[in-house]
Amino acid sequence: MLSYYSYLLAGVATKLMPYISVAVAEQDAGVHYDSSAAAEAGHAVGTTEHGAHAEHSGPPHLPSLLTYVRYWIGADTDTAHFLELWINPIFAFLVAIFFTIVAIYVYSKRQMIPGRLQNFMEILVEGAYNFLQTILGNHARTYLPFLGTLFFYILALNFLGIIPLGHSPSTNINITASMAILVFLYAQWTGIRRLGVGGYLDHLAGQPRDTVSWVLVPIMLPMHIIGELAKPLSLSLRLFGNITGEDVLVAAFVVLGVSALSFVHSPVGLPLHIPFILLGILLSTIQALVFSLLSTIYILMMLPHEEHH
Amino acid sequence: MDFQTALAFSLPIGVGIAAIGSAFGLGRAVGSAMEAIGRQPEASGKIQTAMIIGAALIEALTIYALVVFFILQGKIGG
Repeated sequence: MLSYYSYLLAGVATKLMPYISVAVAEQDAGVHYDSSAAAEAGHAVGTTEHGAHAEHSGPPHLPSLLTYVRYWIGADTDTAHFLELWINPIFAFLVAIFFTIVAIYVYSKRQMIPGRLQNFMEILVEGAYNFLQTILGNHARTYLPFLGTLFFYILALNFLGIIPLGHSPSTNINITASMAILVFLYAQWTGIRRLGVGGYLDHLAGQPRDTVSWVLVPIMLPMHIIGELAKPLSLSLRLFGNITGEDVLVAAFVVLGVSALSFVHSPVGLPLHIPFILLGILLSTIQALVFSLLSTIYILMMLPHEEHH
Repeated sequence: MDFQTALAFSLPIGVGIAAIGSAFGLGRAVGSAMEAIGRQPEASGKIQTAMIIGAALIEALTIYALVVFFILQGKIGG
Protein backbone atom coordinates (compact mmCIF):
# COMPACT_ATOMS: atom_id res chain seq x y z
CA MET A 1 0.00 0.00 0.00
CA LEU A 2 2.80 2.37 0.91
CA SER A 3 4.36 1.93 -2.49
CA TYR A 4 1.16 3.13 -4.13
CA TYR A 5 1.28 6.33 -2.12
CA SER A 6 4.88 6.75 -3.13
CA TYR A 7 3.65 6.35 -6.72
CA LEU A 8 1.30 9.26 -6.23
CA LEU A 9 3.97 11.38 -4.54
CA ALA A 10 6.41 10.49 -7.25
CA GLY A 11 3.90 11.56 -9.86
CA VAL A 12 3.68 14.99 -8.26
CA ALA A 13 7.44 15.23 -8.38
CA THR A 14 7.77 13.71 -11.85
CA LYS A 15 8.01 16.97 -13.66
CA LEU A 16 10.14 18.58 -10.97
CA MET A 17 12.51 15.75 -10.14
CA PRO A 18 12.62 13.28 -12.97
CA TYR A 19 14.26 10.35 -11.28
CA ILE A 20 11.88 9.37 -8.50
CA SER A 21 8.98 7.95 -10.42
CA VAL A 22 11.32 6.03 -12.67
CA ALA A 23 13.01 4.52 -9.65
CA VAL A 24 9.72 3.61 -7.99
CA ALA A 25 8.37 2.17 -11.18
CA GLU A 26 11.51 0.11 -11.55
CA GLN A 27 11.23 -1.34 -8.06
CA ASP A 28 7.68 -2.44 -8.56
CA ALA A 29 7.82 -3.42 -12.19
CA GLY A 30 10.91 -5.49 -11.46
CA VAL A 31 13.08 -3.72 -14.00
CA HIS A 32 16.68 -3.54 -12.88
CA TYR A 33 19.67 -1.64 -14.11
CA ASP A 34 22.12 -2.90 -16.64
CA SER A 35 25.14 -1.08 -17.93
CA SER A 36 23.16 0.52 -20.75
CA ALA A 37 21.74 3.21 -18.53
CA ALA A 38 20.08 5.33 -21.18
CA ALA A 39 18.17 2.48 -22.69
CA GLU A 40 17.02 1.35 -19.26
CA ALA A 41 15.84 4.82 -18.29
CA GLY A 42 13.82 5.09 -21.47
CA HIS A 43 12.59 1.58 -20.87
CA ALA A 44 11.50 2.46 -17.33
CA VAL A 45 9.55 5.51 -18.47
CA GLY A 46 7.95 3.35 -21.10
CA THR A 47 7.11 0.78 -18.44
CA THR A 48 5.51 3.40 -16.25
CA GLU A 49 3.31 4.56 -19.04
CA HIS A 50 2.34 1.27 -20.56
CA GLY A 51 1.83 -0.88 -17.52
CA ALA A 52 3.01 -4.45 -17.31
CA HIS A 53 3.63 -4.98 -21.01
CA ALA A 54 6.81 -2.95 -21.44
CA GLU A 55 6.65 -2.71 -25.21
CA HIS A 56 6.48 0.97 -26.03
CA SER A 57 5.72 2.10 -29.54
CA GLY A 58 5.37 5.70 -30.51
CA PRO A 59 6.69 8.75 -28.73
CA PRO A 60 7.49 8.61 -25.00
CA HIS A 61 5.12 10.22 -22.51
CA LEU A 62 5.57 11.09 -18.88
CA PRO A 63 3.43 9.18 -16.39
CA SER A 64 0.18 10.87 -15.46
CA LEU A 65 -2.35 10.58 -12.65
CA LEU A 66 -4.17 7.78 -14.47
CA THR A 67 -0.91 5.83 -14.75
CA TYR A 68 -0.74 5.65 -10.98
CA VAL A 69 -4.43 4.87 -10.71
CA ARG A 70 -3.80 2.00 -13.12
CA TYR A 71 -0.97 0.67 -10.96
CA TRP A 72 -3.12 1.09 -7.88
CA ILE A 73 -5.96 -1.07 -9.18
CA GLY A 74 -3.61 -3.49 -10.92
CA ALA A 75 -2.21 -3.08 -14.39
CA ASP A 76 -3.89 -6.08 -15.99
CA THR A 77 -7.50 -5.57 -14.92
CA ASP A 78 -10.24 -4.50 -17.30
CA THR A 79 -10.56 -1.11 -15.61
CA ALA A 80 -6.86 -0.45 -16.14
CA HIS A 81 -7.15 -1.24 -19.82
CA PHE A 82 -10.21 1.00 -20.01
CA LEU A 83 -8.28 3.84 -18.38
CA GLU A 84 -5.33 3.33 -20.72
CA LEU A 85 -7.61 3.44 -23.74
CA TRP A 86 -9.72 6.39 -22.60
CA ILE A 87 -7.05 8.57 -20.99
CA ASN A 88 -7.51 11.45 -23.45
CA PRO A 89 -11.32 11.72 -23.27
CA ILE A 90 -11.14 11.37 -19.48
CA PHE A 91 -8.80 14.35 -19.10
CA ALA A 92 -10.74 16.35 -21.71
CA PHE A 93 -13.98 15.68 -19.84
CA LEU A 94 -12.38 16.63 -16.53
CA VAL A 95 -11.44 20.00 -18.00
CA ALA A 96 -14.89 20.47 -19.51
CA ILE A 97 -16.64 19.55 -16.25
CA PHE A 98 -14.35 21.88 -14.28
CA PHE A 99 -15.07 24.77 -16.64
CA THR A 100 -18.81 24.10 -16.58
CA ILE A 101 -18.95 23.97 -12.80
CA VAL A 102 -16.93 27.16 -12.39
CA ALA A 103 -19.02 28.97 -15.01
CA ILE A 104 -22.35 27.89 -13.51
CA TYR A 105 -21.17 28.73 -10.00
CA VAL A 106 -19.96 32.21 -10.95
CA TYR A 107 -23.08 32.87 -13.03
CA SER A 108 -25.47 31.84 -10.28
CA LYS A 109 -23.62 33.89 -7.66
CA ARG A 110 -23.15 37.01 -9.78
CA GLN A 111 -23.51 40.41 -8.10
CA MET A 112 -23.35 44.07 -9.05
CA ILE A 113 -20.16 44.45 -7.03
CA PRO A 114 -18.17 41.43 -8.16
CA GLY A 115 -16.25 39.21 -5.80
CA ARG A 116 -12.77 37.95 -6.46
CA LEU A 117 -13.70 34.96 -8.66
CA GLN A 118 -16.33 36.89 -10.59
CA ASN A 119 -13.85 39.67 -11.18
CA PHE A 120 -11.34 37.20 -12.55
CA MET A 121 -13.88 35.61 -14.88
CA GLU A 122 -15.01 39.01 -16.08
CA ILE A 123 -11.42 39.91 -16.91
CA LEU A 124 -11.09 36.71 -18.97
CA VAL A 125 -14.35 37.18 -20.84
CA GLU A 126 -13.72 40.87 -21.43
CA GLY A 127 -10.22 40.17 -22.72
CA ALA A 128 -11.58 37.60 -25.15
CA TYR A 129 -14.34 39.99 -26.22
CA ASN A 130 -11.95 42.88 -26.84
CA PHE A 131 -9.66 40.64 -28.85
CA LEU A 132 -12.53 39.29 -30.97
CA GLN A 133 -13.81 42.80 -31.55
CA THR A 134 -10.60 43.81 -33.32
CA ILE A 135 -11.27 41.06 -35.89
CA LEU A 136 -15.02 40.51 -36.07
CA GLY A 137 -16.20 44.03 -35.21
CA ASN A 138 -19.92 44.11 -34.52
CA HIS A 139 -20.28 40.33 -34.81
CA ALA A 140 -17.97 39.73 -31.85
CA ARG A 141 -20.79 39.34 -29.32
CA THR A 142 -22.46 36.60 -31.41
CA TYR A 143 -19.40 34.40 -31.68
CA LEU A 144 -17.82 35.15 -28.30
CA PRO A 145 -19.34 32.14 -26.48
CA PHE A 146 -18.04 29.60 -28.98
CA LEU A 147 -14.63 31.09 -29.76
CA GLY A 148 -13.85 32.22 -26.21
CA THR A 149 -14.71 28.81 -24.80
CA LEU A 150 -12.61 27.21 -27.52
CA PHE A 151 -9.57 29.30 -26.56
CA PHE A 152 -9.73 28.66 -22.81
CA TYR A 153 -10.57 24.98 -23.30
CA ILE A 154 -7.61 24.40 -25.63
CA LEU A 155 -5.38 26.42 -23.32
CA ALA A 156 -6.35 24.19 -20.40
CA LEU A 157 -5.87 21.02 -22.49
CA ASN A 158 -2.38 22.15 -23.52
CA PHE A 159 -1.36 23.17 -20.01
CA LEU A 160 -2.42 19.76 -18.69
CA GLY A 161 0.65 18.34 -20.38
CA ILE A 162 2.94 20.66 -18.43
CA ILE A 163 1.51 20.50 -14.91
CA PRO A 164 2.54 17.51 -12.77
CA LEU A 165 0.28 14.43 -12.92
CA GLY A 166 -1.36 15.76 -16.04
CA HIS A 167 -1.60 14.39 -19.55
CA SER A 168 -2.43 16.66 -22.44
CA PRO A 169 -5.42 15.35 -24.43
CA SER A 170 -4.30 17.44 -27.39
CA THR A 171 -1.50 14.93 -27.94
CA ASN A 172 -4.21 12.73 -29.45
CA ILE A 173 -5.28 13.56 -32.97
CA ASN A 174 -8.88 12.50 -32.35
CA ILE A 175 -9.37 15.22 -29.74
CA THR A 176 -7.95 17.97 -31.93
CA ALA A 177 -9.76 16.64 -35.02
CA SER A 178 -13.10 16.67 -33.20
CA MET A 179 -12.62 20.33 -32.28
CA ALA A 180 -11.50 21.21 -35.82
CA ILE A 181 -14.49 19.42 -37.36
CA LEU A 182 -16.76 21.31 -34.98
CA VAL A 183 -15.21 24.60 -36.13
CA PHE A 184 -15.60 23.52 -39.76
CA LEU A 185 -19.29 22.65 -39.34
CA TYR A 186 -19.94 25.85 -37.38
CA ALA A 187 -18.28 27.97 -40.07
CA GLN A 188 -20.31 26.30 -42.84
CA TRP A 189 -23.50 26.70 -40.81
CA THR A 190 -22.66 30.36 -40.24
CA GLY A 191 -22.15 30.81 -43.98
CA ILE A 192 -25.44 29.16 -44.89
CA ARG A 193 -27.36 31.11 -42.26
CA ARG A 194 -25.81 34.50 -42.95
CA LEU A 195 -25.56 34.31 -46.75
CA GLY A 196 -28.48 32.00 -47.49
CA VAL A 197 -28.09 28.81 -49.52
CA GLY A 198 -27.74 30.73 -52.78
CA GLY A 199 -25.24 33.17 -51.32
CA TYR A 200 -23.29 30.28 -49.82
CA LEU A 201 -23.02 28.53 -53.18
CA ASP A 202 -22.14 31.89 -54.74
CA HIS A 203 -19.38 32.28 -52.17
CA LEU A 204 -18.06 28.79 -52.92
CA ALA A 205 -18.10 29.54 -56.66
CA GLY A 206 -15.92 32.61 -56.10
CA GLN A 207 -18.76 35.15 -56.63
CA PRO A 208 -18.96 35.11 -60.44
CA ARG A 209 -20.13 38.48 -61.77
CA ASP A 210 -18.74 38.71 -65.31
CA THR A 211 -18.10 36.31 -68.17
CA VAL A 212 -14.52 35.49 -67.26
CA SER A 213 -15.36 34.50 -63.71
CA TRP A 214 -18.35 32.41 -64.92
CA VAL A 215 -15.99 30.53 -67.21
CA LEU A 216 -13.65 29.99 -64.27
CA VAL A 217 -16.41 28.55 -62.02
CA PRO A 218 -15.68 24.87 -62.88
CA ILE A 219 -12.12 25.49 -61.59
CA MET A 220 -12.95 27.79 -58.69
CA LEU A 221 -15.71 25.64 -57.17
CA PRO A 222 -13.58 22.50 -56.56
CA MET A 223 -10.72 24.69 -55.39
CA HIS A 224 -12.87 26.44 -52.81
CA ILE A 225 -14.39 23.15 -51.63
CA ILE A 226 -10.94 21.59 -51.26
CA GLY A 227 -9.81 24.73 -49.46
CA GLU A 228 -12.70 24.47 -47.02
CA LEU A 229 -11.95 20.79 -46.39
CA ALA A 230 -8.25 21.48 -45.87
CA LYS A 231 -8.98 23.95 -43.05
CA PRO A 232 -10.03 21.43 -40.37
CA LEU A 233 -7.20 19.12 -41.48
CA SER A 234 -4.56 21.79 -41.01
CA LEU A 235 -6.15 23.05 -37.77
CA SER A 236 -6.14 19.61 -36.15
CA LEU A 237 -2.71 18.59 -37.44
CA ARG A 238 -1.15 21.86 -36.29
CA LEU A 239 -2.42 21.60 -32.72
CA PHE A 240 -1.69 17.88 -32.50
CA GLY A 241 1.82 18.18 -33.93
CA ASN A 242 2.83 21.14 -31.81
CA ILE A 243 1.61 19.80 -28.49
CA THR A 244 2.84 16.26 -29.14
CA GLY A 245 6.22 17.59 -30.17
CA GLU A 246 6.43 19.73 -27.06
CA ASP A 247 5.45 16.89 -24.70
CA VAL A 248 7.81 14.44 -26.38
CA LEU A 249 10.60 17.00 -26.10
CA VAL A 250 10.02 17.37 -22.35
CA ALA A 251 9.80 13.59 -21.90
CA ALA A 252 12.97 13.03 -23.92
CA PHE A 253 14.89 15.48 -21.76
CA VAL A 254 13.52 13.92 -18.58
CA VAL A 255 14.92 10.60 -19.81
CA LEU A 256 18.21 12.30 -20.68
CA GLY A 257 18.41 13.93 -17.24
CA VAL A 258 17.75 10.60 -15.55
CA SER A 259 20.25 8.67 -17.61
CA ALA A 260 22.94 11.35 -17.17
CA LEU A 261 23.24 10.54 -13.46
CA SER A 262 22.19 6.91 -13.47
CA PHE A 263 25.77 5.58 -13.43
CA VAL A 264 26.19 6.84 -9.84
CA HIS A 265 22.68 5.53 -8.91
CA SER A 266 21.63 9.04 -7.91
CA PRO A 267 18.09 9.32 -6.47
CA VAL A 268 17.29 12.38 -8.62
CA GLY A 269 18.14 13.21 -12.19
CA LEU A 270 19.37 16.45 -13.65
CA PRO A 271 16.50 18.90 -14.28
CA LEU A 272 17.47 19.25 -17.93
CA HIS A 273 13.86 19.66 -19.05
CA ILE A 274 13.08 22.87 -17.13
CA PRO A 275 13.90 25.19 -20.10
CA PHE A 276 11.67 23.08 -22.32
CA ILE A 277 8.80 23.35 -19.85
CA LEU A 278 9.13 27.13 -20.11
CA LEU A 279 9.15 26.75 -23.89
CA GLY A 280 6.09 24.52 -23.52
CA ILE A 281 4.20 27.23 -21.63
CA LEU A 282 4.92 29.65 -24.47
CA LEU A 283 3.99 27.12 -27.19
CA SER A 284 0.78 26.03 -25.45
CA THR A 285 -0.46 29.61 -25.21
CA ILE A 286 0.47 30.43 -28.79
CA GLN A 287 -1.15 27.29 -30.17
CA ALA A 288 -4.40 27.89 -28.25
CA LEU A 289 -4.36 31.46 -29.57
CA VAL A 290 -3.64 30.33 -33.12
CA PHE A 291 -6.38 27.70 -33.11
CA SER A 292 -9.06 30.11 -31.92
CA LEU A 293 -7.68 32.95 -34.08
CA LEU A 294 -7.84 30.84 -37.24
CA SER A 295 -11.34 29.66 -36.29
CA THR A 296 -12.29 33.32 -35.98
CA ILE A 297 -10.83 34.04 -39.41
CA TYR A 298 -12.68 31.09 -40.96
CA ILE A 299 -15.95 32.34 -39.51
CA LEU A 300 -15.13 35.89 -40.61
CA MET A 301 -14.59 34.72 -44.18
CA MET A 302 -18.12 33.31 -44.18
CA LEU A 303 -19.70 36.56 -43.01
CA PRO A 304 -21.10 38.91 -45.64
CA HIS A 305 -18.69 41.77 -46.27
CA GLU A 306 -17.76 44.11 -49.10
CA GLU A 307 -14.10 43.65 -49.97
CA HIS A 308 -13.74 40.08 -51.20
CA HIS A 309 -10.57 38.51 -52.37
CA MET B 1 19.86 -1.12 -46.51
CA ASP B 2 16.42 -2.29 -45.43
CA PHE B 3 13.47 0.09 -45.22
CA GLN B 4 13.82 0.51 -41.45
CA THR B 5 17.33 1.87 -41.81
CA ALA B 6 16.19 4.08 -44.66
CA LEU B 7 13.37 5.46 -42.51
CA ALA B 8 15.65 6.02 -39.53
CA PHE B 9 17.98 8.04 -41.75
CA SER B 10 15.44 9.94 -43.78
CA LEU B 11 12.77 10.91 -41.22
CA PRO B 12 14.94 13.26 -39.13
CA ILE B 13 16.52 14.67 -42.28
CA GLY B 14 13.05 15.30 -43.71
CA VAL B 15 11.94 17.17 -40.60
CA GLY B 16 15.19 19.15 -40.71
CA ILE B 17 14.71 20.16 -44.34
CA ALA B 18 11.13 21.21 -43.62
CA ALA B 19 12.40 23.23 -40.66
CA ILE B 20 14.93 25.02 -42.87
CA GLY B 21 12.16 26.10 -45.24
CA SER B 22 9.96 27.25 -42.37
CA ALA B 23 12.85 29.13 -40.82
CA PHE B 24 13.41 31.17 -43.99
CA GLY B 25 9.69 31.88 -44.27
CA LEU B 26 9.35 32.83 -40.61
CA GLY B 27 12.42 35.03 -40.79
CA ARG B 28 10.99 36.99 -43.69
CA ALA B 29 7.50 37.23 -42.15
CA VAL B 30 8.59 38.29 -38.67
CA GLY B 31 11.26 40.62 -40.05
CA SER B 32 8.74 42.43 -42.23
CA ALA B 33 6.27 42.62 -39.34
CA MET B 34 8.94 44.14 -37.11
CA GLU B 35 9.77 46.69 -39.81
CA ALA B 36 6.10 47.55 -40.15
CA ILE B 37 5.72 47.96 -36.39
CA GLY B 38 8.79 50.16 -36.33
CA ARG B 39 7.31 52.34 -39.06
CA GLN B 40 3.82 52.42 -37.51
CA PRO B 41 3.95 51.62 -33.79
CA GLU B 42 0.27 52.52 -33.33
CA ALA B 43 -0.82 49.66 -35.61
CA SER B 44 1.24 47.07 -33.72
CA GLY B 45 -1.83 45.14 -32.50
CA LYS B 46 -3.21 44.50 -35.97
CA ILE B 47 0.20 43.71 -37.41
CA GLN B 48 0.90 41.29 -34.60
CA THR B 49 -2.38 39.42 -35.19
CA ALA B 50 -1.70 39.12 -38.90
CA MET B 51 1.88 38.05 -38.19
CA ILE B 52 0.76 35.31 -35.80
CA ILE B 53 -1.68 33.94 -38.39
CA GLY B 54 0.99 33.94 -41.06
CA ALA B 55 3.55 32.41 -38.73
CA ALA B 56 1.08 29.65 -37.82
CA LEU B 57 0.42 28.87 -41.47
CA ILE B 58 4.13 28.77 -42.29
CA GLU B 59 5.04 26.73 -39.26
CA ALA B 60 2.27 24.23 -40.01
CA LEU B 61 4.38 22.89 -42.89
CA THR B 62 7.12 21.81 -40.49
CA ILE B 63 4.49 20.37 -38.22
CA TYR B 64 3.21 18.23 -41.11
CA ALA B 65 6.70 16.80 -41.47
CA LEU B 66 6.75 16.19 -37.70
CA VAL B 67 3.36 14.43 -37.90
CA VAL B 68 4.67 12.19 -40.67
CA PHE B 69 7.64 11.49 -38.38
CA PHE B 70 5.28 10.43 -35.57
CA ILE B 71 3.21 8.28 -37.91
CA LEU B 72 6.19 6.42 -39.37
CA GLN B 73 8.17 6.28 -36.12
CA GLY B 74 6.56 2.99 -35.12
CA LYS B 75 7.91 1.31 -38.25
CA ILE B 76 11.54 2.07 -37.38
CA GLY B 77 11.94 0.31 -34.06
CA GLY B 78 13.23 -3.20 -33.71
